[in-house]
Amino acid sequence: MAVYKRTYTRYAGPLTDERFRFAILPRYALQSVFGTRFYTGAFVLALVPHLIAMVIIYLRSNVDALATLGIDIRPLQFLSIDGNFFGTLYVVETFISFFLVALLGPGLVSPDLANNAMPLYLSRPFSRAEYVVGKLSVLVIVTSLITWVPGLLLFGLQTALAGLSWSWDNLRLLGGILVGSWLWILTISLIALALSAWIKWRPVAAAALFGVFFVSAGFGAVTNVMLITRWGTLLNLPSAMRMIWRWLFLNETQYRITTPPWGTIPAWTGLLPLLVVCGLALLLLSWKIRPVQVVR
Amino acid sequence: MQSDRLIAFDNVSKFYGEVLGVNRVTLSIAPGVTSLVGPNGAGKTTLMNLMTGVLHPTKGTIRVLDVPSSDPEKFYRNIGYCSQFDAFPKGLSGYHMIHSMMMLHGFNRREAEERTWKVMERVGMTDAAHRRVAGYSKGMRQRIRLALALAHEPKVLILDEPLNGLDPMARAEVIELFRQFADSGMHVIISSHIMHEVDIVSDSVIMLSGGYVVAEGDIQGVRHEMEEHPIQILIRCDRPAVVASSVFQQDSVVEVRIHTDGHGLLVSTRNPDQFYELLNRIILQHRIAVESVAPADENVNAVYQYLVGSNGAAPL
Repeated sequence: MAVYKRTYTRYAGPLTDERFRFAILPRYALQSVFGTRFYTGAFVLALVPHLIAMVIIYLRSNVDALATLGIDIRPLQFLSIDGNFFGTLYVVETFISFFLVALLGPGLVSPDLANNAMPLYLSRPFSRAEYVVGKLSVLVIVTSLITWVPGLLLFGLQTALAGLSWSWDNLRLLGGILVGSWLWILTISLIALALSAWIKWRPVAAAALFGVFFVSAGFGAVTNVMLITRWGTLLNLPSAMRMIWRWLFLNETQYRITTPPWGTIPAWTGLLPLLVVCGLALLLLSWKIRPVQVVR
Repeated sequence: MQSDRLIAFDNVSKFYGEVLGVNRVTLSIAPGVTSLVGPNGAGKTTLMNLMTGVLHPTKGTIRVLDVPSSDPEKFYRNIGYCSQFDAFPKGLSGYHMIHSMMMLHGFNRREAEERTWKVMERVGMTDAAHRRVAGYSKGMRQRIRLALALAHEPKVLILDEPLNGLDPMARAEVIELFRQFADSGMHVIISSHIMHEVDIVSDSVIMLSGGYVVAEGDIQGVRHEMEEHPIQILIRCDRPAVVASSVFQQDSVVEVRIHTDGHGLLVSTRNPDQFYELLNRIILQHRIAVESVAPADENVNAVYQYLVGSNGAAPL
């Protein structure tokens, strides 16, 4: 019988939903992340600001009860749980989440590229976009667990202690926690992935990430002074994020610059550098994440 | 043959900027073992990458079992690819590597586990399953690569240099495995620099040089079409001088060389069928004791040398 007439039967059972197959990448990556004491320790430390905030919220709502036990924490009564409270918390978390991403991000893509592993992923029903989303979700999951997820818990705790009317009056905070966190998470995660794709050596990629963060701050300040402009502030990523936090939590539509040249700029412009950086990072990823590396 | 049983290239070209990968390739590859033959830079890996859909052609169309790569779910169910590189993400064990790739194919956790163990057993890696790939020997990595290509039971196996790094025993086992796959109706496309193994395992060959396909088909068929190169036939017998003097009766015989050991001769003929008839008559007439009669240049290496030249770099 001719070879082509022979039959070959294969698996004909059900397959998993192809829309969620990107989740296979974070599953293994997270297992290895939380399998090490160093990363687990860093993650727990990153939760400390939220834990402190949770204790403050609890104590503040129980000042009288604690006073009957002889614990005097009446000064806490003057601290209100509002936009300022959450704004301060999230400016701190901006830095902490950045450090965590700097630890995890550089090791996500570079080993695959260094080992020529891209054809392995991409010669399967798995696209470049799914690969990027899979790797991105490792950082998104970890940073979500230290930003908006505990933020929502804090909001819920305060609602439970202060009543639904507080929640209704401060609904803006809920939107601020979600929108601000996602914006920051996506920005730093995409930068980290792009640097991981272009810089094979992990410590150098981490250093480059710090460079983007801190050098941009210095460059923004120098631009302001040299060109006598306020727009250099937009080159400073942490400042841009601070503008957004204040806009979201305190409804400050104008951001006040506290260094020379003094003045204000519209808060919404803080979105521009973040969006530009995200776009650039995606471009860098699309150049580098390819099934085969072509040597010209 | 039905198009859903063929790998079809229709006027396919691939350029990397201004660098030629492959040019104007039109092929229909039937089930069985097909070998891609050519020196480095001939276009073998490009052709394989095009087949696997990881590269898109600059021009032309490719359909694997009548499915285009634009339908990845269906396309990649048919294809198992084993790259020539040590393509393993860092830190994973052989088991986790295959298991995660099976999940990317859409198998649920249990099915993926079953398949992983099954294929580990098939390639003889069960004992080393939970060791990190980084600690494997070259041969073990080759086996894992093969397992990765096989585990989802594809219809088309595309294997780039699959015999590299394997010891002779393992090579024999893998070649036997290829034959089993081919006999069950699968496509097994391999590239190899080891010509005698290509000869042993292949049903057909695709010869490439400088990005062009210079010949394709079963090796005997290709060889017989090369009329400008007479076919060489090696005869081992007790009285080669008698045979040599007799074969010149035929016009198609162009050259005869007697071996220095006096027990064989090499005949070059333009008409092998006619020559074999004549040889039978000579053997009977002179009562010659024949040890063996075999074509001397009906192999991939010889055909490639005739077509491309010894350095393998000159395009046709």
